[in-house]
Amino acid sequence: MALQNLKDFHRPGAVEEVLALLSENDEALVLAGGTFIRGLEARGLLNGLETLVDIRRLGLDTIRVDADGIEAGATATLAKLQRVVAAQNAAWLGGLADALDCPPLQIRNTATLGGCLAASCPFFDIPTALVALDTEITIRGSDGERRLPLPELFFGLFANALEPGELITGLSIPHAAGHSAGAFGKLGAHANVLAIVNVAVQLTVDGGLCSAACVALGGGVADTVVRSPAAEAILTGSKLDPAALAAAGEAVAGDIQPLSDHQASAEYRRAVAKVMTRRTLERAVARLA
Amino acid sequence: MKNLHVVGQSVERPDAYDKVTGGKGYPINVRLPGMLHGKMLRSPYAHARIVAIDASRAEKLPGVKAVLLPRDVPQLKFCPVYFVPVQAPSMVQDFDVMNGDIVRYVGQPVAAVAATSVEIAEAALDLIDVEYEPLAAVFDPEAAMQEGAPQLHADAPRNIAKNPSFEFGDIEKGFAEADHVFEGVYQTQRAHTCYMEPRVCVVDMDRQDNITIHVTTQHIFGTREKLAFALGIPESKVKVVKAPYIGGGFGGKLELTAMEPVAALLSKKTGRPVRIEQTRQEDFITTTRNPIKVYLKTGVKKDGTFTARYAKSVLDCGAHATHGSEVIMVHGAFGVFFSYHAPHQKWEGYTVYTNNMIGGGYRGYGAPQGSFAVESQIDEICAKLGLDPIETRLKNSRKQGEPHPFNPAFTLGSYGLADCLKQGAEKIGWAAARSSPKDAGAKKRGIGLAIHPVWVSGCMGFPDIYEHSGAIIKINRDGTADLATAAMDIGSGQITTLCQIAAEELGLPAGAVRMSSQADTDNVPFDAPTHASRVTYSAGNAVKAAAAAAKKRLFEVAATLMEASPDDLEVSAGRVSVKGAPGRSVSVAEVAQRAESPFVQMTAEGPKPTTMEEKGTIIGLASLSPKSNPPPCAAQFVEVEVDTETGEVKVLRMVYAHDIGRTINPKAAEGQVEGGFQQGMGYALMENIQFDPETGSCLTSDFLDYKLPTAMEMPRQMDSIFIESDEPTGPFGAKSLGECCVITPAPAIANAIYDAIGVRFTTLPITPERILAGLGKL
Repeated sequence: MALQNLKDFHRPGAVEEVLALLSENDEALVLAGGTFIRGLEARGLLNGLETLVDIRRLGLDTIRVDADGIEAGATATLAKLQRVVAAQNAAWLGGLADALDCPPLQIRNTATLGGCLAASCPFFDIPTALVALDTEITIRGSDGERRLPLPELFFGLFANALEPGELITGLSIPHAAGHSAGAFGKLGAHANVLAIVNVAVQLTVDGGLCSAACVALGGGVADTVVRSPAAEAILTGSKLDPAALAAAGEAVAGDIQPLSDHQASAEYRRAVAKVMTRRTLERAVARLA
Repeated sequence: MKNLHVVGQSVERPDAYDKVTGGKGYPINVRLPGMLHGKMLRSPYAHARIVAIDASRAEKLPGVKAVLLPRDVPQLKFCPVYFVPVQAPSMVQDFDVMNGDIVRYVGQPVAAVAATSVEIAEAALDLIDVEYEPLAAVFDPEAAMQEGAPQLHADAPRNIAKNPSFEFGDIEKGFAEADHVFEGVYQTQRAHTCYMEPRVCVVDMDRQDNITIHVTTQHIFGTREKLAFALGIPESKVKVVKAPYIGGGFGGKLELTAMEPVAALLSKKTGRPVRIEQTRQEDFITTTRNPIKVYLKTGVKKDGTFTARYAKSVLDCGAHATHGSEVIMVHGAFGVFFSYHAPHQKWEGYTVYTNNMIGGGYRGYGAPQGSFAVESQIDEICAKLGLDPIETRLKNSRKQGEPHPFNPAFTLGSYGLADCLKQGAEKIGWAAARSSPKDAGAKKRGIGLAIHPVWVSGCMGFPDIYEHSGAIIKINRDGTADLATAAMDIGSGQITTLCQIAAEELGLPAGAVRMSSQADTDNVPFDAPTHASRVTYSAGNAVKAAAAAAKKRLFEVAATLMEASPDDLEVSAGRVSVKGAPGRSVSVAEVAQRAESPFVQMTAEGPKPTTMEEKGTIIGLASLSPKSNPPPCAAQFVEVEVDTETGEVKVLRMVYAHDIGRTINPKAAEGQVEGGFQQGMGYALMENIQFDPETGSCLTSDFLDYKLPTAMEMPRQMDSIFIESDEPTGPFGAKSLGECCVITPAPAIANAIYDAIGVRFTTLPITPERILAGLGKL
């Protein structure tokens, strides 16, 4: 399949130009890394697409690290973020480091952070890891800039909360407070497969007790990446002992509404979500030690 | 075996550099001046009557040069499979290029266009209006066999395209004599070979019907015969250019599809060459390995001796029989019936039409489906009766010197099954691994084995199947040689091994024989396809004979030059010498130059004549059938780790022992074995072309959704063992390898999973979800 009806391919040099193009044309698609667009194109889902707006010349590919955390531009590649995260070698970034190891190398080198969020695909790995880190995204529109906590971007299966004419320009990952560690786990029958289930957890301890916990799940456990308030409630205040981790794993089942597809049934996803949550929590706890 | 100099060496592939620098020899890289791009419109319905087609809007689209509708295509029925005559009585002749009345699967071509770009061609397809009247469809072959099911072809009651059977002894008596009877049902899935280069062709057809075609094919003469028939023109009008190599085949490029004749007719209509390249999605719905359901029943004595075996196999051939006519036979014979001895045996096969996509050839050709049933069940028998899996297999299998089960005129002259089992078991540490206690944790390890007792080296002795080969060898004035043959290199190293065989016979160094890159159906002798594990054995024997003929002539010329008798000469490392007098020698180059030199040569001593007898290019030609069909055999051992909480399976180790007679190129052979295991492991654990059960449309249409093992999934430790049993009829003792190594991975892995967790899986692929369900955790 090909973009048989493509008429305009824009490569603007300024965000304002992009916003103007997007507000003029509701149907225009933003091109960043292109990995998701290529997949849609190959399946004949973009046969009617007429306008592409390439945002790679906006200079939004920078990543900055300081005491407050990480600020990344929308067109920074997964590989670039992976290099930054690896250099930090910090327990609080453990989950993101795990997740960045999952996509195949070719995807990491091409796909962008903004793209993998805007796609709003529940089977991707990086969004789940970013939710567990309380990531916020920056959105530009004709009315100016706004910030949105990440889970709120995911509106539904392949649907995001961007208003017409809006563009994701970057994201910020706040530095975790206190003694914090994260972990991420993916279940897929294959190294290059979209997740059947993925789990990202972030645990903070204070005086031997868990003071804050975040458990995020993706990979078709629902239409979007979801958090598990039930699991988080069990963990918060606990000693993070094996019984608490197992109970938290069991508790996620109530917070998910898994999908059935050609890869796995909802029943299987529900069963392994529990196991993957417990195992991912165990890895985070090991990183706290 | 005498000392070998080139055979047995891991000679580098001459095509390797070309491939890693862009692969200009692949048909996908062929471009001709003025070329147009063709695309086919495919049916969205699994079963429907075509009421009307209106292409007027498409014809008006700028850039569209021609639209092809069913009325433009000869309405002929034939068998598109390359390795049989086009109207072979043993095959079902139900295939048509573009049916104007009815569609029988989602994806059946109903129209085509040629345009100046792929994009315009695709856009034009959207402008062709087809009115369909949907009909009731059937997707399950056993449902299709019921009275009242939708009928797909008028001449196939209950949708049975083919119903072969074999029987000997008295099956009831055999089961009565058994101490135990085991019964099981084993279901395999639809899998694609996943060759890297898609199906592609560039066709130039003129107004006089002369055709030149560049195409991804495993058989240039097959393409010629079937394409000519499909278009109703004489074979000699069709020139199929032999690509130096194609990007994989694995049996997936062994038949004519709509692509080639459609491109030809579009070319004739436009007066320009037309290229059609299928997308991966189109390839996934063009051919696959047929799913087969096997009902298997075995009678066993207390000591493990088989008394009776009964099997019924139901093959889903999809909308047309094509390969399904033959796959069922190979499956029944080599997959089920010939695997083990039993005094009383019976097998019934059913090739059944459904509204699924057409099946096709895939490495192993029905044997993997049979092996999964047979080798799983023998494991069940051993587990239930406390028998040793190696001893029980040996007890019931054939021995060296016995008649070949397929053709008693042949004997098992070389047969190293016992050595395969012995050496494989030692390598993996079978005895220790089987007796070690299981892990207490969530991850359990297990070890399993499967064998394949009888496979083929070509098709010698099969009804209606082409099986002969040809080769031309020419010795050059620089002491090298050119080899020309129609045998296709489909990625498994046929160029390399055939050149090694020629070099060995000619006494030339490795690398001194080159495969001609310019061959087509006009200028090389007929060769059967690259299929049925035949090239090393069958084409290898023809190449060896052509080399021997060239060598005979080489010695005649050298004899005049050296004033010796041709019978006293030998050749080694590029020099011809007198036996017993290595000092008296000339180089092959000098002999070749002399043969092509002027009659009178000026020398320092004045004009000097040469003789009439020594003149003429030194050339050898052979076109012959192989002498036999010697069986390679294999024993496979694997170790797996099963995660009992998630159902994930990791294959940790594999040992694969093959008796292949003689290893021509050890590195190439290892590559075959590891690649075969990769495909077999994918078949065991993940690969599955899935369809929407309501509409019949493909759900796994690209590599995002259809997964095969990559380097990440492959075992970290792989050992290939080659038993060299020295086949008397083979070139330098060689038999075959290609397909043998894809047959047993699925049952070996299933048996290892059973050893790990005590659960028997009888449906492929064994996905994590099936494992968890099998453990009672879903």
